[in-house]
Amino acid sequence: MDRPLKKIAFVLEDCSLGSPGQQLLDRVLIGYPRDGEFHRCEGEVHVYLAPQAADAELRRRLADFPLHRESTIEQAVTGADGIVVVPGHVHSAALAKSCLAAAPGGSAVFVYGAIAGDLSDAQNLVSLAESRKVPFAAGTSLAVTWRLPDVDVPAGAPVKRALIVVQGESPLAELHALDGLLPLLERRKNGERGVRSVRSFTGDATWAAGDEWVPRRLLAAALSRSDSPQGDPVRDGRTQDLLGLGLVPGLARSPRAWVIDHTDDVRSTILVLDGVIADFNFAVELANGSIVSAQLYRPPAPQRHEFSRLAAVIERFFVSRKSPWLPRRSVLTSGLLGAFARAGRETGSIRTPELAV
Amino acid sequence: MKRQTRREFMATAAQVAAASAAATALLPGCATQAPDTSKPLVRPKVALVATVVRKLSHAQHFLDRLLEGYGWHGEHHHPPMELVSMYVDQFPETDLARERSKRHSVPIYPTIAEALTRGGSKLAVDGILIIAEHGEYPKNEMGQTLYPRYPFFKQCVSVFEGSGRAVPVFNDKHLSTDWNHCVEMVADSKRLGFPFLAGSSLPVTWRIPSIELPLDTPLEESVCVCYGGVDSYDFHGLETAQCMSERRPGGEVGIKSVLALKGSRVCDLLDERPATRRLVFAAMARSHTCVGSSGYTYSAPDMAWLRQHSAPLVGYFIKHRDGFKTAMIMMNGLLSDFTYAGSVRGSDRIVSCQMYLPMPPTNTSLADFFNPLMNNIERMMLDHKAPYPVERTLLTSGMTLACVTSLHRGQTAVQTPEMNVAYRAANEPAYWRT
Repeated sequence: MDRPLKKIAFVLEDCSLGSPGQQLLDRVLIGYPRDGEFHRCEGEVHVYLAPQAADAELRRRLADFPLHRESTIEQAVTGADGIVVVPGHVHSAALAKSCLAAAPGGSAVFVYGAIAGDLSDAQNLVSLAESRKVPFAAGTSLAVTWRLPDVDVPAGAPVKRALIVVQGESPLAELHALDGLLPLLERRKNGERGVRSVRSFTGDATWAAGDEWVPRRLLAAALSRSDSPQGDPVRDGRTQDLLGLGLVPGLARSPRAWVIDHTDDVRSTILVLDGVIADFNFAVELANGSIVSAQLYRPPAPQRHEFSRLAAVIERFFVSRKSPWLPRRSVLTSGLLGAFARAGRETGSIRTPELAV
Repeated sequence: MKRQTRREFMATAAQVAAASAAATALLPGCATQAPDTSKPLVRPKVALVATVVRKLSHAQHFLDRLLEGYGWHGEHHHPPMELVSMYVDQFPETDLARERSKRHSVPIYPTIAEALTRGGSKLAVDGILIIAEHGEYPKNEMGQTLYPRYPFFKQCVSVFEGSGRAVPVFNDKHLSTDWNHCVEMVADSKRLGFPFLAGSSLPVTWRIPSIELPLDTPLEESVCVCYGGVDSYDFHGLETAQCMSERRPGGEVGIKSVLALKGSRVCDLLDERPATRRLVFAAMARSHTCVGSSGYTYSAPDMAWLRQHSAPLVGYFIKHRDGFKTAMIMMNGLLSDFTYAGSVRGSDRIVSCQMYLPMPPTNTSLADFFNPLMNNIERMMLDHKAPYPVERTLLTSGMTLACVTSLHRGQTAVQTPEMNVAYRAANEPAYWRT
């Protein structure tokens, strides 16, 4: 049953302008567009900002809004119905652990990013949340943002392969890729059954890997959804079939690929391609050969209204105390980030029996 | 040349066809006939008639999509058409037409007639794209840039008449800055029986959320909130609203009057019209670009906020002949996208969405909102049928002209009895959704 939110707590390690912490905090303070109207949140807002963080933006908000600044995490979360945790690093488990330990019964906790950088830390956090009966979810806006076109993997559809193209530094790019990909894949027949092995390719080996690991048909579909091809399109505005013309390897700066073999024989590939396109796009091949592809739309900065989508999901989570997705997705995400770190240091596939999540 | 009636044109066409074995693409008297699907598909040959081709000019967007293809339905799509000739009016230092011409072996002809006849004496293409946006052209006393869409179009018509054959024409953006010219262009297409498509990419781009109004949805008012300049993006805003408004019961019946206002006068009118005001904020709630005050990344605007920032506002308020209302408000500096909201009669319901423009160079490298427009052009060239009525753009051209006139006359109402344009919307959605 839904409940009114009397108090929302933010526990932040970064509140600089444009940071996820600032974006989510402002959605609660200012309100945000939701379903065609401006929605304003109710309840008191209490914030704890880590002492080492710059606090100019927080001080501005303290002056502009009835916002309460707390000096400890415990003070911030006491009596909170919902707690938003934004670590300074995408998979810092320490802050989430402190918040879960202090979270009052009846509250719900959302962690922005991955809950941890490896499987065991993630499992420990989920266990802690369960033991304290605190609903718990984690993720980024990529899991909930608009898709162009507005498509999804049909529920229960057998899936053969999947691929996503992202950009950025590790591990944030990989986290974004997983947040884009796993919500699609968990809709397949029998849902997500875990991961059997992971393999990495970097540099030229990415292109030498071949269709088995980097499926050209899916890469073509994903790239076709991009509005931001690089190279000639930037120079003179032309459209261009980057893959068909063989331009992708030349454009890519330090490419890296992660190939994930799921336990049900589905194979998914994450391509981190800086210099080729500048948006996130995926393609999923169903068992019948059809392809579902789209762009994960990230609205312009500085507004970044994908945070409005995420804020709506978080608020719904706090009101209902029902997690928007299974914690196991977040556990698998953390486990895969850990596996990627290991795979990057080894040659060939690494077995991941522990990821049978 | 004496203007031909459709009957005369058909008679000429029959004579030409009888005398010319080369008249194979279309049969006499069947200028709008779809290709015979029992025969192998022949790629229609098309000509581009453009003002200027430079980086990010409209003609560059269309030209490159014709030559290089574009992303569509999850693949890189190459249009089933062959660009065989170009006419380009201006060649600035930043010209790209000559480079494209050389690299793709597409000749640029010195006149429109030669581009359409490919140096011969008769029409030698199966379709024409007129892209007369951008370039250096004079302005009229109301500040409207006199892009040569009408003269370009008339030169095409002249070739049609001389050839006894007409082919589909696409005209980018509004038809003309002269209402009589707009009417004449549409009349020419009817008289000679060729498919005519025109307008903006706004009606066909992505919608967030992806919605289409069922035909005969009982809308009672439409609002578009957008940005841009007078006689420029205002047309896009009006097309944004009109592609929704035309789906109301009875379809479009034309407009009775317009009033254009600036600055705080826009807010004054919204104070008097709460239903319109509600739609304005519903549309703004679909915006992804509403600017924040210092130290903030976005705003949640209300009427006080709008008044505080009212200086750049330009509002067009349009009364239709059946009592329907359209408002279009440009908010330069306050936001930079196009959003729509419409109220449904007999309910509290508002339908709203953003018509999303992936806009280079800030947010993207490609202006891919031209992809669905290009694809609708392809449909017309292949099917010999415009996917949506040109009367929409006839009316929005008239709205733009009348509203610019209203501004020029000191923000006073302009009666538009001549704009009694009635038409029905196409049933099938034409916007980008797959």
